[in-house]
Amino acid sequence: MAKKISGPQMVIANRLDDGRVVFLTSSGDWSARAADAAVADDDVSVDALRSVASASEAANRVLSVEVIEADVHNGVPHPAHMKFAMQAKGPSVRADLGYQVSPDWER
Amino acid sequence: MYAYDDYDHALVNARVAEFRDQVNRRLSGELTEEEFRPLRLMNGVYLQLHAYMLRVAVPYGTLSADQLRKLAHIARKYDKGYGHFTTRQNIQFNWPKLVDVPDILDELADVEMHAIQTSGNCIRNVTTDQFAGAAADEVADPRPYAELIRQWSTFHPEFTFLPRKFKIAITGAGADRAAVKWHDIGLVLKKNDAGEIGFAVIVGGGMGRTPVIGKTIRDFLPEADLLSYLEAILRVYNEQGRRDNKYKARIKILVDALGAEEYARLTEEEWQAIRHHPVDVPAEEVARIHAFFKAPPLPVLSDDVPTVDAFAEKNFLFAAWLKNNVSAHKVPGHVNITISLKPHGGIPGDASHSQMDLVAALADRYSQGEVRVSHEQNLILPHVAKKDLPAIWADLDEAGLGTANAGLLTDVIACPGLDYCALANARSIPLAQSISARFDDIKRLMDIGPLKIKISGCINSCGHHHAGHIGILGVDRKGEESYQLLLGGSGAEDASKAAILGPGFDEAGIVDAVEKVVAVYLGEREDGEEFLSTYRRLGPDIFKEAVYGTH
Repeated sequence: MAKKISGPQMVIANRLDDGRVVFLTSSGDWSARAADAAVADDDVSVDALRSVASASEAANRVLSVEVIEADVHNGVPHPAHMKFAMQAKGPSVRADLGYQVSPDWER
Repeated sequence: MYAYDDYDHALVNARVAEFRDQVNRRLSGELTEEEFRPLRLMNGVYLQLHAYMLRVAVPYGTLSADQLRKLAHIARKYDKGYGHFTTRQNIQFNWPKLVDVPDILDELADVEMHAIQTSGNCIRNVTTDQFAGAAADEVADPRPYAELIRQWSTFHPEFTFLPRKFKIAITGAGADRAAVKWHDIGLVLKKNDAGEIGFAVIVGGGMGRTPVIGKTIRDFLPEADLLSYLEAILRVYNEQGRRDNKYKARIKILVDALGAEEYARLTEEEWQAIRHHPVDVPAEEVARIHAFFKAPPLPVLSDDVPTVDAFAEKNFLFAAWLKNNVSAHKVPGHVNITISLKPHGGIPGDASHSQMDLVAALADRYSQGEVRVSHEQNLILPHVAKKDLPAIWADLDEAGLGTANAGLLTDVIACPGLDYCALANARSIPLAQSISARFDDIKRLMDIGPLKIKISGCINSCGHHHAGHIGILGVDRKGEESYQLLLGGSGAEDASKAAILGPGFDEAGIVDAVEKVVAVYLGEREDGEEFLSTYRRLGPDIFKEAVYGTH
């Protein structure tokens, strides 16, 4: 059983073929932008996101799926915890790399 | 350097082909991640925060120029143009795509490299002195023994699923530059009264959440008995090491539980039972391996080189580099160069593809085509004629590799931390950058003298904070990065465990705290006394008072 949620949630994972960080969108697809992530505010909608993500994992599109807490500002979600925020942004010490430069990097 | 024979080539090529098939099966969905994960880890492929990471073994820290050029090529073609040299003398690529990894491994195999046993609960890459075979203070070259251990431990069927990972380090010199007392097994080459070569054998050292300095279980093991004795140590561990709790599974916990004497007794008992089995290799095979590590035929030259002295007189930064980054070679007129991968404000251990290409070119021209990786995350050019130093320094300096800080405060070890690592709780690299930017003054650094700062972004201690003169440990404190300050550790022959000084700091606070600690040292040191000695003489209180103002 899923644990009881507190606050808005989003789903993060890594793409299987290249390992890049992606977020589950409301259309059930995956985006490299955290801002595109679907946000769930209650147990039912979190379970719905989780089941879409699990199906995608089972279909070998992504791995390391996690439901994480989201901060939502002006309707734009971002991972709340520093570890996941780091995944959304890329390494803080290489501002020339990662998603700061191009969310669709090398795709 | 060791050169693969047909057996080595066949073994590595077979493994690449096997992994290519496993990757294909994973991508097609035939293998689940649960099934694939142990297979990829056996080939050095991790999943980190932003991407997969490939850890490539640099056996005992020795690279040829061609191998380094290949690493540069891989960084350029398959990664983002750089690699990260680690505290285990390996290199990590931070951005490879899983689909590309088999091709990368194929390219590595072309230059006799691989990623086998760079992860998993097996015997990992054997580490050693970065100046092995070149240091003036060496009893014997540890690399032939490291190579023997590599061959013995590669795919060793009995030791593929140990209770936990297993790390062996060897030093052949009086000064321990390989941190042997902090390893699962540490070996110190020595000569007995008869002038025969052997090893002092240390077991049960390790960092992580339970830092332990290893204990000597045998003062002198004849060199011919090395593999059978190691096999006995491993057998005791494999049988009795804990498998119920990964945090208590390293050999250090078992040695502590049994006591070093009992561990020695059990090892001896096992050894007597197996030592006459064909574990130790025949003398001719040992001789064959030793021949690969024959010292290069260097001419004996004068240590007085007026052109070098004249250049140093005119150029302070070169003079500082000469003092800090250049060390004695066993052949007069020659030196070993430490190329700092710690530019002030830069990322410890990172090297760009063009920097790797440059170092490879310099190695071809000046250092017998050899490069070393140190566990302090620097590169070494061994066997260099002293007269070539000004030209080498000029090339290095132009490429951002001329920082004159080897062994000084800004020669910081730092793990990748939360910028890359999925296990980390806090960032390490930005701290190293802030500290080196704060102390960006070679004169000041030389006045402070030898001081080793080591930073880990979590309790796993890849940044060796327990062994830092000043150690820093990053923790997650209610979702915020917090840093603990430790003092008094050493990874050298006088190994000691650093102790936590007091409550943690935020990023700015920890840099200020380091500066306060250094100020106490500068105020209190006696003539010629280095930081660690001052700390040991005074104890922590005076430093605590300065940092926390407890009175």
